[in-house]
Amino acid sequence: MAMHQTLSSGVVRPPSRRVRLLRNQRRAGYSMLLPMAVVIAAVTLFPILYSVWMSLNDVHLETNGFALSFTGLANYRVLAGSRVFWHSVWFTVYYAVVTVAVELILGTLIALAINGVRRLKDLSLVIMLIPWSLITVISAQMWAYIYNGVYGVLNAILQALHLIGGPVAWLGSPGLAIAAMMVADIWKTTPFVVIILLAGLQMIPDEYHEAAYMDGANRWHAFWRVTLPMLRGSIALAGLFRILQAFGVFDLPFVLTNGGPGTATESLAILGYETLFQNLHFGPGTAVAVSTVVMVLIVCLVFLSAFRSMVETEGA
Amino acid sequence: MNRARKGAVVGTAVALVCSVAAGCGSAGGGSNTANAAQSGGAKPIDTAHAKGTIVWATPPITQTGLPETMVKAFEQSHPNIKVKLQLQDNNTDTNRASLTTAIGGGSNTPDVYLGDVVWPAQFAANQLAKPLTGLVPNSFWNRFADGLVQGATYHGKVYAAPFFVDTAFLFYRKDLLAKAGLSVPKTWEDVQKDAQILQKKGLVKYGFVWQGASYEGLLCDFDEYLADAGGQVLDKDGKPAIDSAAAKKALTFMRGLITSGVTPKSVVQFTEQESQNVFTEGNAAFIRNWSYAWPNSQDPKASKVVGKVGVTALPSFNGGTGYSTIGGWDLYVNPHTKNLPAALAFIDWMTGKQAQSILAKQFSEIPTNKQVQNDPSVKQKSPIFSIVPKVKYVSRPAQNPNYPAIAKAVYSNVNAALAGSVSTDKALANAAKQIQSALGGNGGL
Repeated sequence: MAMHQTLSSGVVRPPSRRVRLLRNQRRAGYSMLLPMAVVIAAVTLFPILYSVWMSLNDVHLETNGFALSFTGLANYRVLAGSRVFWHSVWFTVYYAVVTVAVELILGTLIALAINGVRRLKDLSLVIMLIPWSLITVISAQMWAYIYNGVYGVLNAILQALHLIGGPVAWLGSPGLAIAAMMVADIWKTTPFVVIILLAGLQMIPDEYHEAAYMDGANRWHAFWRVTLPMLRGSIALAGLFRILQAFGVFDLPFVLTNGGPGTATESLAILGYETLFQNLHFGPGTAVAVSTVVMVLIVCLVFLSAFRSMVETEGA
Repeated sequence: MNRARKGAVVGTAVALVCSVAAGCGSAGGGSNTANAAQSGGAKPIDTAHAKGTIVWATPPITQTGLPETMVKAFEQSHPNIKVKLQLQDNNTDTNRASLTTAIGGGSNTPDVYLGDVVWPAQFAANQLAKPLTGLVPNSFWNRFADGLVQGATYHGKVYAAPFFVDTAFLFYRKDLLAKAGLSVPKTWEDVQKDAQILQKKGLVKYGFVWQGASYEGLLCDFDEYLADAGGQVLDKDGKPAIDSAAAKKALTFMRGLITSGVTPKSVVQFTEQESQNVFTEGNAAFIRNWSYAWPNSQDPKASKVVGKVGVTALPSFNGGTGYSTIGGWDLYVNPHTKNLPAALAFIDWMTGKQAQSILAKQFSEIPTNKQVQNDPSVKQKSPIFSIVPKVKYVSRPAQNPNYPAIAKAVYSNVNAALAGSVSTDKALANAAKQIQSALGGNGGL
């Protein structure tokens, strides 16, 4: 595309042989890509568009499949007036913002530490990766045992240390349950951030830091003025991946709390799953799914632009 | 149309032929002529020459090979039919999600599936189950214990054949009661008081455990106190009736169990499994649980309280037998099945005397077949079977296709109140509001 523009944006003249050749090549290229493009459209684009279409309809399951009748934005109006939906938006955003922020900060620190380690670097990397490599439903079950209010490990330790008088129901009240879930998430996914940032750190040439120290920078200055700006792309990438995942959080609340107590930890994904697959309300359910995608896109854009301006001011 | 039937309380006295006042027409039963008219004269399918292969989807039910045993015995008596077992998830909601995905997507297997007793309305309304009325001879329905067929009926048609019943009991530590010189409690208040005495004496850590997590099981527990206090989730016109004095009494009592220390705070995270663990570890004096808790507590591999457990019907607020939620599992037929005769032959056998006796004698599940239920040799297998005839049943407001959303409106708000994060008044008001929304068909949003 860029090449086409540079070539054709010059003075108007009959296309040279070279340009014609390029055009032909391009046409051949596109035609070869076409089958793949069709397959991708069939398996990704069609379901997405069909979901959007379903969310604009009243949907019933009949013996021969779905029966749709167009209702416009009715399903979205239901969402807009729903306390349950807005609560789950609030929870998901809150959960995503806090966990991603903490994971980015912790991840940066750990990546710097591992990058500085001279011996046993590989080993420390592997150990750190264990939480990330566990399947979430399994690690979530493990956390459920840790947080268990009767025979939980956490209560046993805190009671042995006389830090709490009696057992605490960690997943039994909204505030504690949300915090407990965030801890489990941060424990699990910080290694993912570390891996990405470590790759970023290793791409920064040593000369940059050497030059900074020659100019009289201390370690703090070197971090803010050299490391962080150079790491910007990696942090943005890690942050984006994490926001995407955090917005779709399902397995952790599904295992730990099933959305409880009450609906305190009901994420958008859990709400969508229940509406679609438990209650079989396909119209409102797809509306939840589509709204989630729109929100994720917005949050990602906000994150990227906020991040860019933040790093630019810090780096200046 | 099912408004008139939404009374939350269905006694055992409800007849097999569902009453006209209940407004659901004939559920099958006694009279052949009445039923032929009802089903539009459709002829029952001939199952005598059924052959081929069918797929039966079922959760494992027990951990002791119940489905496998059943399939083997069936194939022995029906050499022309092979049954392929498709084991489903033990979690009821996961099981439902996988069935609705497959059948809703037009799959012709499983041919027969085991589903919760609260599914008929939702599955009927979404074309996920084949109506059996007319496909089986009317006399088929006579074999079931009273009230069960009505529970599987939606808009006048029966959508499933009851396979086994389940209901709740009060299990208690008879050794501890004897030590403290207490008798078996007759009222809920006594349960609380006795539990406190046992805890004060240092005989046991917790008094009374039950199911308080934010899930269907909590609705079952709550519905029992609610019925006892004279309340219901939906009134007879199908409107939310949960914001009532009776509901407040029920919820306040449940919350009081926690604040008085009789029930651990973490009960708000308990499903059957967690509560049963506390009991079989010897850490609770009383437990409200389903019938499986009996064999489970008497299994030396799973339990530290073997031989120390007694069981009785649930108590009530004012003395006398209290209400127990009716649960259990039914056999449904996939509307897309390609082998209806074999599917029906399988269901016929599974609800017949041989299968139902295996179910009761080998696996301690409560049979749905009336004759087997009353068989003296079955009764002596488990103390549960002798209590069953005394139980007063309360059914969940499941005769509505939006039942899952109604249930969630109840259990999520009750759970929040139990956790102390909202007041009982606020929780009940919220529940009523969300039920209203669920009834409007908005999927509980």
